[in-house]
Amino acid sequence: MAQWDTSRYTSLFISEATEHLEALSKELVRLEQGEVTAEAIDSLFRHAHSVKGMAGSMGFEATTALGHKLEDLLDRVRTTPTRFDRGVADLVLQACDALTAHVKAVAAGQPFPDAAPLMAQLVAATQSMRPGTTPLPFKENAAPPLVETTPAPESNLPPRWLISLKVSASSAQPGVRGFLAYKRLGSLGNLFRCAPSLDEVKAGKLQGGLFAVELETTETEANIQKTVSQVADVTLVSIEKVVAPPPVPAAEEARPESSPGDRVVGQEPQRTVRVKTELLDEFLDLAGELLLATAGVREAGRTLHEDARSQLNVSVDRLHGLVRGLHDKVMEARMTPVSVITDRLPRAARDIARRRGREIELIVAGSEVELDRAIVDELNDPVLHLLRNAIDHGVEPPEERRMRGKPPRGTVKVSVRRASDRVLLEVEDDGRGMDTERLKTIAVERGLITAEQAKDLPERDALLLSAAPGLSTATTVTDISGRGVGMDAVKRAVEQVGGTLEIISKRGVGTTFRLSLPLTVAMVNLLLVSVGDDVYGLPIGKVAGVVETTRATLAHSQDLPVLQFGQAVVPARELSALLGVPARLHDVNAACPFVVVETDEGRVALAVDALLGQEEVVLKALRRPLDKVRGLSGVTVLGNGRPVFILDVARIDAPAPHARAAGGDA
Amino acid sequence: MSKRVLVVDDSVFMRDIIKDIFAAGGFSVVGEAGNGVEAVEKYKELKPDLVTMDLVMPYRNGIDATREILRGDGKALVVMCSALGQETMVMEAIEAGAVDFIVKPPRAEDVLAVVKKVLGEG
Repeated sequence: MAQWDTSRYTSLFISEATEHLEALSKELVRLEQGEVTAEAIDSLFRHAHSVKGMAGSMGFEATTALGHKLEDLLDRVRTTPTRFDRGVADLVLQACDALTAHVKAVAAGQPFPDAAPLMAQLVAATQSMRPGTTPLPFKENAAPPLVETTPAPESNLPPRWLISLKVSASSAQPGVRGFLAYKRLGSLGNLFRCAPSLDEVKAGKLQGGLFAVELETTETEANIQKTVSQVADVTLVSIEKVVAPPPVPAAEEARPESSPGDRVVGQEPQRTVRVKTELLDEFLDLAGELLLATAGVREAGRTLHEDARSQLNVSVDRLHGLVRGLHDKVMEARMTPVSVITDRLPRAARDIARRRGREIELIVAGSEVELDRAIVDELNDPVLHLLRNAIDHGVEPPEERRMRGKPPRGTVKVSVRRASDRVLLEVEDDGRGMDTERLKTIAVERGLITAEQAKDLPERDALLLSAAPGLSTATTVTDISGRGVGMDAVKRAVEQVGGTLEIISKRGVGTTFRLSLPLTVAMVNLLLVSVGDDVYGLPIGKVAGVVETTRATLAHSQDLPVLQFGQAVVPARELSALLGVPARLHDVNAACPFVVVETDEGRVALAVDALLGQEEVVLKALRRPLDKVRGLSGVTVLGNGRPVFILDVARIDAPAPHARAAGGDA
Repeated sequence: MSKRVLVVDDSVFMRDIIKDIFAAGGFSVVGEAGNGVEAVEKYKELKPDLVTMDLVMPYRNGIDATREILRGDGKALVVMCSALGQETMVMEAIEAGAVDFIVKPPRAEDVLAVVKKVLGEG
């Protein structure tokens, strides 16, 4: 089967098969939660069927065989829905995972994992569901069937056939041959779904000469075969009855909430093309470079005579406007719905809950909200982590919940919404809540804060202790606090994309993790400052203000210099000392700018040598080994070509031995 | 009884080649036509089992002629003769009701394979 070159279809196969498998597992989980319709089961079947078909076209026999067994089982489920229980659902999900592993193997160019035992299980389950047999003794079969009595879909539509055809390689005009076969079949009834599309068939763009159509007809199978046999150069590869005749994806129609990936019936589908995400990254990079280059032209113009310069500047302004427009469009193209993350959650929630013996209802809302793809990518793991935490540690076991007068089934709600120029993503549970006193105690024990500090620590800061590195990585603490494994990683990831993490928790009532995220990451407004011979950028968003004063007039508190800022007093630090770079000799009586910034530990005034101005720049992520340097969050290039490090202001005041070492090299 | 064929092409040379192919294949060529108008007339007169129809011809092209023939006899079997590069026209002819097509220059085995399939003998 694989004698022709299918390699150029590989990436399409991977992406489409993955989409089908994700949809399958997502829909199955939804079906388990009780929203059962015949269409939903049909939809599961169709996903399996599509994957099988694609794998067959690619010549992946092992994948095809596995897909076929899954398809058989789902076909049986369709006819005997009362036999559909958790055991079957588990098996379907296992098959789904195994198929996903196959797809991944294709992507990685590795051999297919062995699925023989699973296939045997699928066959056994399929057979056991034959009408009149007793169900397999699945584990946990005590659970009532998830589907009540849903009769097999009655329909008075004629049966539908999936017909695969092959146009002979020796055919002089394969496109016309394929089209002829298509028309001939069309004379027997109604045709649906030609794959590849009819236009591609007509153009002769057939991989290995293969294409497939669905035909709804009252004709017999023999007559269909005869019709195909009357077309020269076209052979019938396979013909099989398709289960459901619905021309519209009714399962999706029936869903109360639909993500943008779901096609809403009656709505004009948007015209889209698939673009490699790397290409979008490159576009953004190039658009960013263009912005920089524009700034470079403006910079170069400064040496010109004033008349010439103002003329140049008019053009540069126009250019800048255009490039800005281009950049905005690229950013827009990168916007990705959060459903990319949330679509995986129901399945994950189900698995975690089952493993931990919890009863969970997962509610997902607002998955259509869009964010920059880079942010969505970064948030995948953190959100999954928050979900795991909520189920693992937040929601109590059913017995405990009953004792506390709560419904045995816990609710975890993941909601996403726009709030002006931010996106709020919340993971909320109705579990046991967090114990701030214990968090404080442990934080003091570990030397993260003093007992003094602990006493006055506001509630929200105390809750954030659960995301402090020293606390969260300790597993012993996890068990006590009920939170923590990798919470610091979550916080870091959120801040990395320019977001903030907030925790709201009430003992016995539940916990909400709120991520406040920017829509895009790439542009940042910087306040440029010089220290010694170097220029650094401070994100304007983190700058509270600038005060110019002399070092000699600074007040002191506990022997440390402090600066009066508004009504408050903030600690004053030398930025050079924090970064570990040599400072200029300074006269304590000379005026010095202090930039007041917001750090994790509160406001801090940073003494710098000079303020150089404000600039909107394109942020580039630091690559190895610079990403390991504490105190730096990114790098950019100014119009004059000079690289500027952007300071990780939130953590700048924390002890940073690495920054000191690396700062010396910078 | 051998099947009766009407060969339509504006080129005598091409008609001869096709006639020879049919003769060798045991078909009986009962008539010829050099343009679309003639083709329609001959069809009505001869009621052949099969027509081979050139696409591009004077007076009336093969697609129009096919349409006209089928209007008079919905069961008429018309096979188009096309050259490479005429794919779009062939598809138009198929839309108009042509049952199959052969590609010029015609090769005996291809032509016979196609017409036999069309006549249900293949």
